[in-house]
Amino acid sequence: MNQIKNLSRRQFLAGSASGLTLAFLLPLSSRKALASQNSPASALTAFLNLNPEGKVTFYNPFIEMGQGTYTSIPMLVAEEMDIDLDSIEVTQAPHGDQYKTMFGGTQRYTGGSRSVRSSYELMRTVGSAARAMLLQAGAQALDVPLAELDTDNGQVRHKISGRKLSYGQLAEIAATLPVPESPPLKIESDFRYIGKPVKRKDTLAKTDGTAEFGIDVKVPGMLYAAVKRNPVYGETISSVDADAVQSMRGVIAVERIPQGVAVVADSYWHAKLALDNLPVSYAKSDNRSFSSEGLAREMRARADEPGLTAEDQGDIENAFEKAADKIEATYEVPFLAHTTMEPMNCTAHVTSSQCELWAPNQGVDFFAQLAAKITGLPLDKITVHTPYLGGGFGRRFYQDYAEQALVLAKKIGQPVKVIWSREEDLQQDFFRPMTVVKHRAALDKSKHITAWHISLTGEGPAGRLFPLKPGQADNSVVEGAIHQPYAIANKRVDWIKHTHQIPIGFWRSVGHSFNGFITESFIDEMAYSAGVEPLVFRSELLNSSPRYLKVLQTATQLASYQAGVIETDAMRYAYGIALHESFGSIVAQVAKVSIEREQPKIHKIWCSIDCGKVVNPDTIEAQMQSGISTGLSQLLLEEVTFKEGKAVQSNFHDYPILPANLMPEIEVAILESDAEIGGVGEPGTPPAAAAVCNALFKLSGTRIRKLPIKEMTFVEARENG
Amino acid sequence: MIKLHINDTEHEVDIEPDTPLLWVIRDSFGLTGTKFGCGISQCGACTLHIDGIAVRSCTLPVSAAVGKKITTIEGLSKHGVAHPVQEAWCKIDVPQCGYCQSGQIMSAAALLARNPSPNDRDIEQAMTNLCRCGSYVRIKQAIRSLVDTKAGAV
Repeated sequence: MNQIKNLSRRQFLAGSASGLTLAFLLPLSSRKALASQNSPASALTAFLNLNPEGKVTFYNPFIEMGQGTYTSIPMLVAEEMDIDLDSIEVTQAPHGDQYKTMFGGTQRYTGGSRSVRSSYELMRTVGSAARAMLLQAGAQALDVPLAELDTDNGQVRHKISGRKLSYGQLAEIAATLPVPESPPLKIESDFRYIGKPVKRKDTLAKTDGTAEFGIDVKVPGMLYAAVKRNPVYGETISSVDADAVQSMRGVIAVERIPQGVAVVADSYWHAKLALDNLPVSYAKSDNRSFSSEGLAREMRARADEPGLTAEDQGDIENAFEKAADKIEATYEVPFLAHTTMEPMNCTAHVTSSQCELWAPNQGVDFFAQLAAKITGLPLDKITVHTPYLGGGFGRRFYQDYAEQALVLAKKIGQPVKVIWSREEDLQQDFFRPMTVVKHRAALDKSKHITAWHISLTGEGPAGRLFPLKPGQADNSVVEGAIHQPYAIANKRVDWIKHTHQIPIGFWRSVGHSFNGFITESFIDEMAYSAGVEPLVFRSELLNSSPRYLKVLQTATQLASYQAGVIETDAMRYAYGIALHESFGSIVAQVAKVSIEREQPKIHKIWCSIDCGKVVNPDTIEAQMQSGISTGLSQLLLEEVTFKEGKAVQSNFHDYPILPANLMPEIEVAILESDAEIGGVGEPGTPPAAAAVCNALFKLSGTRIRKLPIKEMTFVEARENG
Repeated sequence: MIKLHINDTEHEVDIEPDTPLLWVIRDSFGLTGTKFGCGISQCGACTLHIDGIAVRSCTLPVSAAVGKKITTIEGLSKHGVAHPVQEAWCKIDVPQCGYCQSGQIMSAAALLARNPSPNDRDIEQAMTNLCRCGSYVRIKQAIRSLVDTKAGAV
């Protein structure tokens, strides 16, 4: 059981290519950087390789967690290389600097809705460079001038004689050629894939049970581990009575892991049964005093403190002093869990000379580095396999589950698969932080909004991980509150840092997940205080932001938006609107809502998005539906509370997520613009709750300022709207 | 030894009778298309068919499946021909992360087998599997595309 299998990828990357003849090294963020690349291609590691049989393998630097990168990224390559998308086999690129395509070639992760937008040009350049080299190879092979050649879906063609050679036939010659300095990119009107709805490459495997997720990985000789950490963050397990379970069927070992304990057995069920029966004592600490209720009280008490200013324009002090009227409202959002459908899991195999890890992850380099640290092995002795992720949403940047697998595999000397129970997954999360946000607005005598002040109290996941510069506000708290498109002359955003005692993390759309809801709810509050209909109010303030206005108008037109409350014989309903920019894309949503049995009934959401350039509209539609479901889930249902230092909720019975029967119909309009390409994985989430709440206000007169609303009831208020 | 009839094949396995069927299917038989999601029959990722009925296997003792026909996602298509539900899923690209989709497909297939023309309410009642990606809109669309209108849907 000491032999590590499946080294083909490593062998290839080490340069001992077998049948792999064309390869590129493009650790570049722009075509300019490509100009400095003049090494022969054959010795280089690659995004792409082509074998003499014509098989193309694409090493994707981005992982697939549902957002469609295993289709949209290779689309960019196929487009420029002039090959059929179906002929590309997509595999996950291993760790290493050569695959760091983001931020000038310094980083690589899958998140921040950045995959397509950070590689739109680079991946097209990869395809274009390959095509140029194959054309050059064709000129050599056919002994004709380059100008007489073109390509036709995987073939180089001599226009005059009609002679053709397949890319595979030219692979060996092409491999000897230098990478061209600046291969031309197609003009948009020639696009065959980009901008067209393209079927996902991973669908078939995800409908017949063959798609392999981390939890499905099987390695010969593999053992299973069930794990338990102290549910109180920062506390350990002080002692365990291993003897009590050693004789249970299948049990191989009881081992300590950071802050916890693991039972290793011959099957997951044996491991779990023994763990459930394992007597453990917890070390107690001051962390038991932590409660979310207490935290909310503390944060609310600080909401008027002067904070660190994240944005400041005009003079809000002066505007508030001169105000004829003022409004203010304090909003509050809870801790949230990721609850990816696939619970955290990781498989590791550690020997004295090598380490192999099968880890669902959103940043393979972080996991490789962790493995190097724990095993003491150099990075080139570490292989990290990234299977399909059964959801990520920001949870799988964090490596705690991989640490457990590595520690156990190192101790046991055999491959070990760690699988978390749902309870462990929910209670040992890196939670979307609870945040308290106070909004204030000043109005002049004619009821124009003259000033807007936003004060956010809380802590963000970015600042937790990366030290902030002195005076720098945590963007993961203030994003979505700063940089509003509305023309309000005096505006300030302040951040009051209030440290949370528990792990906090990136959750789909991060700071926007609450600021989208809060700012767009408060914009509605401003509209009512100004006595202007919410759509008219927004439109007036967006006069000098035409791109935003167009997105808003597209959604309202699509919805046939109507002001006020609409009463028909069958139903009394209202439309709510919200507009929010995040991750480089602008999204507007209109929700059609009624009240049924004192609960909101969301009939339909119309959604428009301007993401600059469109790569796969089918994916964009799916991501808008998906993002909206997340936004509605946090509005209607989700909340993690803490008592005596630990999460109260433990599974889907007390932490419900949006079920199918609460999902409205959704219609999506995609706008292209001259703007830079934007993301699509997250921008659908932030406006959803606000659109619904703004409709609910029309119907009930109740302004929702605290999420979720699962315990609230709504009564129709006839005079409103 | 416990005898099981899985995907038209008889098997024997040495396992404790109270082991949840899910883990027997996955770990003893390597049929990993059926997923673990919650362990308390809440999410439906572990849905498979027992005698044609959609069942959540994470809380069902393996002993309860003895003498019955177990069908997993791997056995849904017969003789290499995709099941109509799988075809519909592919046609409109339902899956995103895909983790819950085996369970969703098994629930939908069981629904359509017993009611070829479900209305929206029937679909809502049968499709209680959770999807964190929110692929619900397309799931409903895919099922609707399979509704046999000739059978006289209400």
